[in-house]
Amino acid sequence: MEFSLFLALLVFVMISAVISVTLRDVLSAIIALAGFSFGAAVVYVLLRAPDVALTEAAVGAGATTVLFLVTIVKTVRPAGERVFERIRWGPAALALAFLGTISLTIPSIPRVGAPDSAVVAGDVTRYYLEMATPETGVENVVTAVLAAYRGFDTLGEAVVVIAAGMAVLLVLRREVYV
Amino acid sequence: MIELLASHYTYLTAMVILAVGLYGVVASPNLVKKIVALNVFQVGIFLFFISSAFVLDGVPAIGTHGPGPYVSPLPHVLILTAIVVGVSLTAVGLALVVRIYDGYGSLNEQVIREVQADD
Repeated sequence: MEFSLFLALLVFVMISAVISVTLRDVLSAIIALAGFSFGAAVVYVLLRAPDVALTEAAVGAGATTVLFLVTIVKTVRPAGERVFERIRWGPAALALAFLGTISLTIPSIPRVGAPDSAVVAGDVTRYYLEMATPETGVENVVTAVLAAYRGFDTLGEAVVVIAAGMAVLLVLRREVYV
Repeated sequence: MIELLASHYTYLTAMVILAVGLYGVVASPNLVKKIVALNVFQVGIFLFFISSAFVLDGVPAIGTHGPGPYVSPLPHVLILTAIVVGVSLTAVGLALVVRIYDGYGSLNEQVIREVQADD
């Protein structure tokens, strides 16, 4: 039951990705992107990553959509009679060549959910799972790694967010935009 | 071939999403849609990482006293950071798009090139 739901979701995510990229109307594309993002968040839930799913749903499907909507309010929304863009064969050939090249690596990737794959069975993962709660006192290992073991990484993330905020303010510094 | 499809379905989905995103970035003439496609591409990478952390019949690594098996927390942490950084990049990109529209009066790549050539 859960597996067929999972496959249906993966198909939904792929189709909504294609739709959001090929829709001609920008507002429709943004709405399709929000749906795509939310589908991806549900896929993360089924892959047992609740923290990532929450962030993706709030930030990916929520905040990003708001940013896009503000942008099209400030700019234009090109109108057209066609619902979808015409397919451009040059870029399509490029994308297919890219897909062909990276899918050559599939046979060397461990199968989905393999308990002996390098990520799951690796020393780092095992150390975090055993020691994170005793060493930091945090029950959620993801939070413990985020805030304690990789705290500098999270500090760097905060620096990136502040730098991005400053860049946005600098680029749009005239009163017209504020 | 079919066995590979059946055992690597999430990786294959991630790769298809990457290809769709790449197509959008190259093919869309509209700058906002290029950034939409960039977001699609990004989710492909996230899905690849989260798939690599998954264990069949695993549980999230919260309260690790039970028998497990637990999914790996490390890719989850990396992707949490990546999502926030991705939104920051989207914000900067969209701010530049607003500024470009202010300068050139269009969001179409072709039109912007022509205006640049005229100047």
